[in-house]
Amino acid sequence: MATTTTETVRLTIDGVPVTVPKGTLVIEAARQMGVMIPHFCYHPKLKPDANCRMCLVEIERMPKLQTSCSTPVAEGMVVHTATTVVNEAHKSVLEFILANHPLDCPVCDQGGRCDLQDFSHEYTPTTSRFLEVKRVFPKEYFSALIETQMNRCVQCLRCVRYCDEVMDVKALAPSGRGTMTEIKHFTTHQLDCEFCGGCVQICPVGAITSRLDLYEFRPWMLKRADTVCTYCGDGCHITIQTKGNDLIEVNSAHGAGRNNGDLCARGFFGYHATTHPDRLQSPLLRRNGELVPATWEEALEFVAETCIALKLKHGPDAFAGLIASRCTNEDLYVFQKFMRLVIGTNRIDGSARYGHINGVRALRRVQGTHRWTVAFEDIVGAEVLLLVGTNITETNPITGLKVKEAVKKYNATLLTIEALVPAIGTISNIANLSAHHFSVHPERFGNVVLGLIKAVVEGGLVAQTLTQRAPAYVEAISQTLRAIPWETLESVTGATSQALMEAARAFVAARRAVVLVGQGVLRTPGGFGVATNLLDLLLLTGKHDRPGCGLAPLAEENNDQGAVEMGALAEFLPGPSDLDDRAARERLAGLWKEELPQRPGATLMQILGDARAGNVKALFVVGENPIGSLPRAAQAKEALERLELLVCQELFLTDTARLAHVVLPACSYAEKDGTFTNTEGHVQAVRHAIDPIGESRPDWEILSALSVLMGYPIEYGDAKEILKEIRNLIPGYGLLGPAPATPRSDEAVVERYLREGYAEDVGARYQLTGAGSFDMAQPATSSAESDRRDAGKVKDGLQLTLVVGQTLFHSGKLSTRAKGLMEVQNAGSLGLNPSDADRIGVTDGDRVRLVNQAGEMTTSVRRLDRVPEGMAVFPEHFDEEARRLLTVSVDPVTQVPYCKSAKVRIERL
Amino acid sequence: MLREKYKDEIEQILSRYPVRRSALLPLLWLAQTEEEYVTEAAMKEIAGILRITPPQVYEVVTFYTMFNLRPVGKFHIQVCKSLMCGLVGSDVLLGWLQARLGISPGQTTPDRLFTLSTVECLASCGTGPMMQINDEYYERVTEERVDRILADLKRDGTSPLKSGPFILPQLAGSEK
Repeated sequence: MATTTTETVRLTIDGVPVTVPKGTLVIEAARQMGVMIPHFCYHPKLKPDANCRMCLVEIERMPKLQTSCSTPVAEGMVVHTATTVVNEAHKSVLEFILANHPLDCPVCDQGGRCDLQDFSHEYTPTTSRFLEVKRVFPKEYFSALIETQMNRCVQCLRCVRYCDEVMDVKALAPSGRGTMTEIKHFTTHQLDCEFCGGCVQICPVGAITSRLDLYEFRPWMLKRADTVCTYCGDGCHITIQTKGNDLIEVNSAHGAGRNNGDLCARGFFGYHATTHPDRLQSPLLRRNGELVPATWEEALEFVAETCIALKLKHGPDAFAGLIASRCTNEDLYVFQKFMRLVIGTNRIDGSARYGHINGVRALRRVQGTHRWTVAFEDIVGAEVLLLVGTNITETNPITGLKVKEAVKKYNATLLTIEALVPAIGTISNIANLSAHHFSVHPERFGNVVLGLIKAVVEGGLVAQTLTQRAPAYVEAISQTLRAIPWETLESVTGATSQALMEAARAFVAARRAVVLVGQGVLRTPGGFGVATNLLDLLLLTGKHDRPGCGLAPLAEENNDQGAVEMGALAEFLPGPSDLDDRAARERLAGLWKEELPQRPGATLMQILGDARAGNVKALFVVGENPIGSLPRAAQAKEALERLELLVCQELFLTDTARLAHVVLPACSYAEKDGTFTNTEGHVQAVRHAIDPIGESRPDWEILSALSVLMGYPIEYGDAKEILKEIRNLIPGYGLLGPAPATPRSDEAVVERYLREGYAEDVGARYQLTGAGSFDMAQPATSSAESDRRDAGKVKDGLQLTLVVGQTLFHSGKLSTRAKGLMEVQNAGSLGLNPSDADRIGVTDGDRVRLVNQAGEMTTSVRRLDRVPEGMAVFPEHFDEEARRLLTVSVDPVTQVPYCKSAKVRIERL
Repeated sequence: MLREKYKDEIEQILSRYPVRRSALLPLLWLAQTEEEYVTEAAMKEIAGILRITPPQVYEVVTFYTMFNLRPVGKFHIQVCKSLMCGLVGSDVLLGWLQARLGISPGQTTPDRLFTLSTVECLASCGTGPMMQINDEYYERVTEERVDRILADLKRDGTSPLKSGPFILPQLAGSEK
């Protein structure tokens, strides 16, 4: 953490001496020794406000009662929390609150876990001296997901402060004054915000509640399961509360998990995907061209027999497998073991291939780790944070909260390289907090990175030790960068050399600097190179081996990192070890008591290519949906249609599953046990909350059953047994600690990289991308020029870069089955900069057509200030039509398919 | 749009404060003088100028009774309902006004002449009960005085019963 102080203070609370760090608040000191001082407005995450007056205590030698939530401890302080005077004060405060609080506990969802109920029970007599009529607020509709019942409000303003201080959204307004203060959004508009549910969680009474489970439960009826959210790589701890086999609500206790109890809309309101009525109930078998329900025996026997026949006829390399990163580590491990031992092929790949692999490969190449060398705590404690290509609020909201905490609470300097521009909107925008924001075309984030490195090498900011250690490396980089003049750099980035220099200086001056790189880089061409360059930046500034410094690639899917570590990717064995690592192969063979297949693996695009060519005959697809994820240009459908056997293990009948010969119903994360590894490499327990839906089974169990039928049993009693086997391979894997022990970079690998590794592609990596082509970084300067340009554009539509990306309210296609999230966003719309929208004369809701060589689509427009001119954003969750426009290119090194943007022409309909 | 019409005023207001957000009250006042009440569009525009969210503007507007969220009549009668005036009979004054005008606080007469509001302390505690009509104070108001004031206002648009004109206190030492 940023401020760790060892100075302590001794004081006495209720006659007990206690020692706490200096600066601790009295209420916290009391809590530490087990004395709970009643309070409403105080919350450890928020700055003290001392507005509710409930936490009054007596402090000797102070004339009046003090609010313990805003009084820091002092040496020798003597505090009394339970004297007659204090109790009288508590009673009085409660009497005032209850003068207005309605007696509607029987219909209040907070009943049974309400602070006001508890304190009333503890302190108040059952009579009141107030004769006045209670205040009544007219009931107003607040939003589809969040319900307010303002008569219950105790006006502690926790919700308002949370929305501002923690979330940086500022969507709640305490309107009015005094007793008549009520929480509203903006006049009579319904709430439009991030819907993180933070206000629901932090409300001490029942004034703000979730509408998804209104009147459905009493807290003591619910069964709780602590597990991990499955909607992004952050790996948030969630508590799923159930009644029978129904999911009632999800929350996360303060202090719980890596998220410290904070959630985003997906985590808090997205849980209904699991129990959607479309869930597959039984295995489906294709008979006479139709998928019809079948028994598990029929389905599995069909798969086993067909596999055995195909393997005899075509050999094991006619098989391939794809697995989604939403699976548990146990699923991933058993999957790759099944493919390698039972089938006998290394041709497997997973959804980490869509981008996360770029970050992992860069880390392995330069510093020999496959994980971050930093943890969330280092983000909070960083002095400088560099965010590259990540609209972090929308992709990894909780990592985003760590960044916000670092900036807002500990005054870290934020540097951002992103296409989005700073703008106040209904959801928070990390660029608003940035000290140096570089807004560039989404395919050119790398250019700004080059600019920063150029500023470092030419500003004399290279670490002395590195210049001595690897002079050739420094010289090679300096030389290639010298060939790029500042003027060119300025014109392709739109950033001045001065701004770059200032940012570089701020970065170098920081003792703790963390670089976060997101999907905006990892999923675009050159992503692997940019990630490597960012490591160069850390090396050049002498930071890569410093504690609290490092590169952190942000995983999009919840278990992308686990997929890497379980070896469920083309190039990795569990560990991960390289597929051709002899020592690792021998160790694995010894453990599995079986030789590993020799032939190389195949990546997603290779598998699809081979299937199209007729070389892959059978494909196992576990939770992955290439048809739904890749653009039409990737011809995934054509590839899968040629297969002789397509087996899908799925929750729903996806586009891919529709083509399958056999569809096997799998359990969702809420119905199985196991572990997920989050983006920072923390392995966390997944626990089942409900019984499996229909006849669904965990993925590993399905594979295990198949292995038995194929005469090659890999059997486990439960998920724990699999984890035990994983621990044999990776010692200590998934031992649950308070925080992950972050790996240190491997000095031998760094040495090798500095000596010769860098040279392989230093010339290619240090090249500007996209120079000369359509450029949005340069707004037209003269009005005459812009008029001419505008006129030209409007006549035959406007040329834009379409970026299909993630939004805050969804994750992949899975969350489009969550009714809560669909209330917020149930269709795709095109986000356009207001100036661009004006150019083609459209406003919110108007229909437009997007056209390019590949095809066309129509959609409606949403004006968004945060979208830069020349760019249009569309949510990937509703991209059925948009995928037609996208092209696909494949990274030559990491084989990542890049398919998230396209040049399009937009015209008004 | 305020930004176009009052470009210089806005610049001048913003230049007065080291923290941008501090300019909120003067900008809202500017918006109110423009439209007689603070419109939603104005709140959104001010939020944009100050780089805060519209709810953050709205909460301030609702806190201060001097900002109106709806159009008011020609004469905006603001009756102090704080403790001091309450002790000397502001409830009688308010009741009388309601009876005379036929409206409750928050309402406007159908002829759009009078709007009645209750407000917090107007810092004239020694001369209660008192009320403010538009920018003028009326102190030690009685039923008879109310009748005269209303009649004056209807007839002349102003009333001699108003207090003042006030002379701003001189800064110490500035003039001798």
